[in-house]
Amino acid sequence: MNLLSQLHFAKAAELLIPSLLSGFGVVIKATIFGFLLAIVLGMVIAIGRLSQLKPIRGVLYLFLELIRGTPLLVQLVYIYYVVPLLLNLLAGILGFKTDVQIASLTAGIIGIGINYGCYMSEVIRASILSVDKGQTEAALVLGLGKYEALFRIVIPQAFRSIIPSLGNYLVMMVKDTSLLAYVAVNELLLRTQNFASQTFLTIEAYTYLALAYLIISIPLSHLIKYVEYKLKTN
Amino acid sequence: MFSIFNLEKKYGDLEVLKDISMYIGEGEVVCIIGPSGSGKSTLLRCLNLLELQTGGKIFYYGKNIDAELDTKKLRREVGMVFQKFNLFPMFTVLKNITYAPMHVNKMKKEDAEKLAMELLTKVGLADKADVYPVKLSGGQQQRVAIARALAMNPKMLLFDEPTSALDPELVGDVLAVMKQLAADGMGMVVVTHEMGFAREVSDRVIFMDKGYIVEEGTPDKIFNNPENPRTQEFLARVL
Repeated sequence: MNLLSQLHFAKAAELLIPSLLSGFGVVIKATIFGFLLAIVLGMVIAIGRLSQLKPIRGVLYLFLELIRGTPLLVQLVYIYYVVPLLLNLLAGILGFKTDVQIASLTAGIIGIGINYGCYMSEVIRASILSVDKGQTEAALVLGLGKYEALFRIVIPQAFRSIIPSLGNYLVMMVKDTSLLAYVAVNELLLRTQNFASQTFLTIEAYTYLALAYLIISIPLSHLIKYVEYKLKTN
Repeated sequence: MFSIFNLEKKYGDLEVLKDISMYIGEGEVVCIIGPSGSGKSTLLRCLNLLELQTGGKIFYYGKNIDAELDTKKLRREVGMVFQKFNLFPMFTVLKNITYAPMHVNKMKKEDAEKLAMELLTKVGLADKADVYPVKLSGGQQQRVAIARALAMNPKMLLFDEPTSALDPELVGDVLAVMKQLAADGMGMVVVTHEMGFAREVSDRVIFMDKGYIVEEGTPDKIFNNPENPRTQEFLARVL
């Protein structure tokens, strides 16, 4: 075919695929740590927003609005470039000379973790609220404390119901790690961009990139469907 | 055990309990009857602070439950059984029963399991120890819930319409367990629509309507010679 004869997939593969393979490691690392951070933060925000103390609820709600009202990409850039500058400026005002920098992967994990944590907190909060109030009452009348009832009785039940939606967030997060390219994390997109600009094998390079994401996300989403099925049948 | 003076409960403008005064003695079986919405369950739930009273005072062994008593201690001594059982679905029957003795009373696992098996035998479900609650019928779940409450070795049990969510043919098993408890001397306050049970088992029957205690007395007095016209009218409808 005329089209294929003008493209150089074999040559591109030879050079790009090893680089993409090492990029997988970065994607996996960013996703695992980002997701852990997101779950912890999501739990903290969810529980905080169920607190009886109005100021805590208010502050968390404000934070949530702030994060959900700005794009993830902007947040990443802000954490990577602006936060260190601000810290150095503040230190300078206080009379210290500092040169704070955030490693790009660290900034990426923090940014993606905070962003996803905020969205996931809403899912977690709804799932906690959806557990029958009778469960809490049953725990309380047995002499358990409020927090023990929440953590030992209510949250384990809530988590069963949100595993599918947390799984969807996980798949989304894998794909969103491509945004980390903009804060100089050497993940798949940045590697592909560099390769394409050096070799001009643009069509081949980005085709391989898309395939690389599919190779992670399709099995992952099927794994999640399987877990969901297993949970339902148990 | 409980002395209640001028108890009031309001939700906003809605008065659910009005000027309730009563006494519950140790080992006494008290049944509370009355139409829906009369405040029976709310009264019961005020006794273990699942609902907070908005007026009046409740004393437990002479201590104001609002101010002078540790809520957790009160709840350990006064168990409760719910209309909808509220078993923990992620635990087996055995763990449902051993959980609180182990985590609240710090009982050793072997001891807690031995106790749980004794209690399961008592309620006739020893063969269901390793089953999850969802596999049980309503009547079986309620008997497990009773065993779970008994595992804390309470001085008294509160029953909030324990048979109202059950199919009619399952009610008998649960009532049989409760009768046995009464015969063993367990103090019980039972909110119920089972007039037969109230008549047969209670030491005292309380009739509530519209948030007031309208009449109280021995089962014989309430069921055979009710004085108040509202009691007469209610009993005429349900008996």
